[in-house]
Amino acid sequence: MREWYMRNISFIKQLATQFILLLIGFFVVIPIWGTLRLAFDGSLKGRPTEFRFLPKEWSGEAFMQVLDKPYQSVDFHILLKNSLTVSFGAAFIAIILGFSLAYAFARFRFPGREVGLFAILLTAFLPPVAFMTPLYILLTMLKIRTTLLALVIVYASFAMPFCIWNMRAAFQAIPKEVEEAAFLDGAGDFKTFLYITLPLALPSIAVAGLIAFLMAYSEFTIGWLFVEKGDNVTLAMSIYAILQSQYLGGAQPWSYLGSLAIIMSIPVIVIFLIFQRTLLERMMFGNAE
Amino acid sequence: MNRIKTPLYIIAIMFVAFTAWAVRSRALNNLPIDYDEDDYLRAGQEYAHLFRTSNWSGFLETNYRPEHPPLAKIAYGIVFSFLPEQPLAADVSITSQPASSLPEDLFDAARTATAIFGTLTVALLAIVNPLGGLFLAIHTFTIKYTSQVMLDGLSALLSLSAILAYVEHKKRNQSAWFIASAILLGFAADSKYLHGTVGFAILVDWLISSKEFTPSRKIKSLLPILGWGLLSLAIFFAANPYFWPDPIGRLQESFSAVTFTTTNSNVTNAGYPFWQQLNWLMMSVPWRSEPPAFVFMLDTFIAMLAVFGFKSMWERNRVFALWLAIDILVLIVWRTKWPQYILIVTAPLSLSAAEGVRVLWNNLLTWWNSKRSKAASVFHKTESRRALPWLTAGLIAFAIFTIFPMLFQIAISTTDFNVTSIRDGFQGGIWRTFWNGITGQIPITPLDTETHPSQVNFTGLTSYPQVFNFIAGAPSGHSILFFNIMWTFLSVILQGVLGVFVSLLLWQRGVRLGKFWQALFILPWAIPEMVGALMWLNIFNPETGWLALAVKSLGPNIPFAFLNGWENTPSLWLIIYLLPAIWYGFPFMMLAASTGLKMIPHEVYDAASIDGASPLQTFRYVTWPLLLPLLLPAIVVRGIFAFNQFYLFQAFYYQDATLATLSYNIFNPTGFGITGQFAVSAVINIITVLILIIFVFIFNRWSKADEGVVYA
Repeated sequence: MREWYMRNISFIKQLATQFILLLIGFFVVIPIWGTLRLAFDGSLKGRPTEFRFLPKEWSGEAFMQVLDKPYQSVDFHILLKNSLTVSFGAAFIAIILGFSLAYAFARFRFPGREVGLFAILLTAFLPPVAFMTPLYILLTMLKIRTTLLALVIVYASFAMPFCIWNMRAAFQAIPKEVEEAAFLDGAGDFKTFLYITLPLALPSIAVAGLIAFLMAYSEFTIGWLFVEKGDNVTLAMSIYAILQSQYLGGAQPWSYLGSLAIIMSIPVIVIFLIFQRTLLERMMFGNAE
Repeated sequence: MNRIKTPLYIIAIMFVAFTAWAVRSRALNNLPIDYDEDDYLRAGQEYAHLFRTSNWSGFLETNYRPEHPPLAKIAYGIVFSFLPEQPLAADVSITSQPASSLPEDLFDAARTATAIFGTLTVALLAIVNPLGGLFLAIHTFTIKYTSQVMLDGLSALLSLSAILAYVEHKKRNQSAWFIASAILLGFAADSKYLHGTVGFAILVDWLISSKEFTPSRKIKSLLPILGWGLLSLAIFFAANPYFWPDPIGRLQESFSAVTFTTTNSNVTNAGYPFWQQLNWLMMSVPWRSEPPAFVFMLDTFIAMLAVFGFKSMWERNRVFALWLAIDILVLIVWRTKWPQYILIVTAPLSLSAAEGVRVLWNNLLTWWNSKRSKAASVFHKTESRRALPWLTAGLIAFAIFTIFPMLFQIAISTTDFNVTSIRDGFQGGIWRTFWNGITGQIPITPLDTETHPSQVNFTGLTSYPQVFNFIAGAPSGHSILFFNIMWTFLSVILQGVLGVFVSLLLWQRGVRLGKFWQALFILPWAIPEMVGALMWLNIFNPETGWLALAVKSLGPNIPFAFLNGWENTPSLWLIIYLLPAIWYGFPFMMLAASTGLKMIPHEVYDAASIDGASPLQTFRYVTWPLLLPLLLPAIVVRGIFAFNQFYLFQAFYYQDATLATLSYNIFNPTGFGITGQFAVSAVINIITVLILIIFVFIFNRWSKADEGVVYA
């Protein structure tokens, strides 16, 4: 006789399970749907004034508008360009400047290693706000606070401890024997790293970079503290600007906010759906492989 | 050994009692007249008059403020009967403001009397544990309400005595002590009803012990506790002359008076959430008087230590742990959230804090010893040399991007740099002030957010206690620190429960559409946090949100309509914020749990089914213990995330929910309220760092989590 955990569940159980999953599905979908219906409602002139489950007038006009000039008179493509510059820049800096430290902590034992690990872990746990205060003041003193470069530095700062920790895990996951073989063949530390370790760890490093990229791509509040000119605004920041103008009774239809939020989320969602397994592992079981 | 120990012990108790008296006598001189003090003074005056005129039958009809039983008020009456009679304090409604003046000599005598009771309570507790006594001695809320004309001084003394008598009975097995505890309990309930709840702790403890010792003869074994309960009930009525003429009617009168005190306009207008009493426990008295009434402001640390010590207190001194747990439950359920009620738990809280100190000290010793034994075998010289080039390159970057900003932040936190001194600060004022400050060239100027200096001043470390006290408890009664911690625990637990539940559902064999459901449930995780927050804002926004519009057009009877208007009810806030938090966090937990479930080998289920375990038992004893360690990294990740939660609250304009939100909004030079306080923001950030250090330490000890956890 097969035990309960090997049999398929009974019809009643199947029904109950599907019912519960449906309820949870509603919980998941309803907020998303609320934003979708807002985005597709062409009848909105300002804020919504009546309860509707479906848009009153189906229309993609808000999307068109947002893809043209979502925020004040700034073009969408400028916002997108800023977003990509900042996100790639931050990810690039965090990875390039972080990898050697990560490798040192993964491979070598040296005095002060434990304290260093503790410091990296601690800074990886800190909220971005904890870096915001000093960076704001430092970058103002350097007179570059309102530039895109400042945003790159700020977001790189947020992401770097996490990337270091994550790359350390990736390097550690590579069997030491592989490296030692190369090392014994006469390759120096740097050569071993370049030809053996790096290619093996590259996928994991790329994912660490991806997470740093996403962090910078969706950050908006702190960005607004630094940037003042419309030309240096990122996509995510323009969402926040629309939100604030709504609170102050701005004249834009609320469908703009919905459609912009959807447009900027779609690439992220696609990335997550494709890389879900890897992202999950990177985000927590750093060296479980 | 005992020869040295006993005198030391006595000296410690005397020292604690002396401290208690010293801080209370300072407080009773410096505290302004508070709510209700005139009421109890007047009640005492009425009784004093009865004593003076030997009008014994008057006691049957006198109980000013019948929401409280008479015993503590009679005690004031006895004190007042030795003093010259004064006109009665004015009879005003219980919702009115504190009296502006009261007869001086009576007022002083009453405050002194209650301070004596408070000191005796501390001395009694110090006999059990001197350190616990010391904590109770310096606990500011305890000092406050045992130095003012309140009922808690005598009541707390009696309830502590009742439980100590019970403990003594357990130790010596003498029924005299058992009877004494019943009598004292009756008296305690006669002083203030809520202090009688200590009886529940005794009852539960007795039941647990009797279950351990006499499994058979159930009913017969219950007789002693039944007698104990009846005796304390009898004492309760006997020592309450006001009840004699008409016990039922007077009890009803008392009951309706209590109902009024829990529902009157003051209570509803206070707008406290249901966990408000935990806020009070988390903070030191936030209201300042001039001159200051309190010397030490350490209530927050006492509460935190108590959390660490609770488990150990449960093992060593169960009845006190029960007392603490049951009365905290009572405080949460009890509708009136005035701070004086926390006095029913401060005695066991202080004991638990003393246990906490012991536990932490032992942990520290173990950690230190293991570190010393490990230190011998760590590094190689050649490896260190090989590490050097890698380290230098990386450390320079890490130092520039991470370490240096943090150090700079520490420098900022020792100044009062804010938006009005922005010009000076950016032109080198921060460095100048910091340097001159630490070299002692300029004096320390305490932080004052009301003044608007145009120059950066040096505050040294004086901002830290100031800011910490504000975080731990603002004068409004809100404790950001407590909310932050409660938020972390609640959101992680709820995310975990839903995530594990869904993963178990999908894990059943033959579930249809499994892939589809999983892909759907991942969506919230993939949506950027602030977009998700906006989606929920779109539902719960007051007036323009989906819910508010639905209630407007479909009427108040639709499901979830009770959540409408949540912004006016602090207890509902929590639900409104927890919903998006669960929504956003459960997919991560679900994925982690699914991965974990796949890693559990099938053989363990074979073993369980051979033993005849039901599915529920299998989960409880097989799946869950195996799954939990695999979930730990996910729990840590989500915990840190929840502790730092920022965008969700920012989208909802809840500006002081977490330390991160508060820091941002205090910093933001163009925001609302107190803004542009750069230095204060830096102080908050450093405090966050300190708290997270404690977190990391705990997790390091808790598991090998630090090896795997990465995402924050």
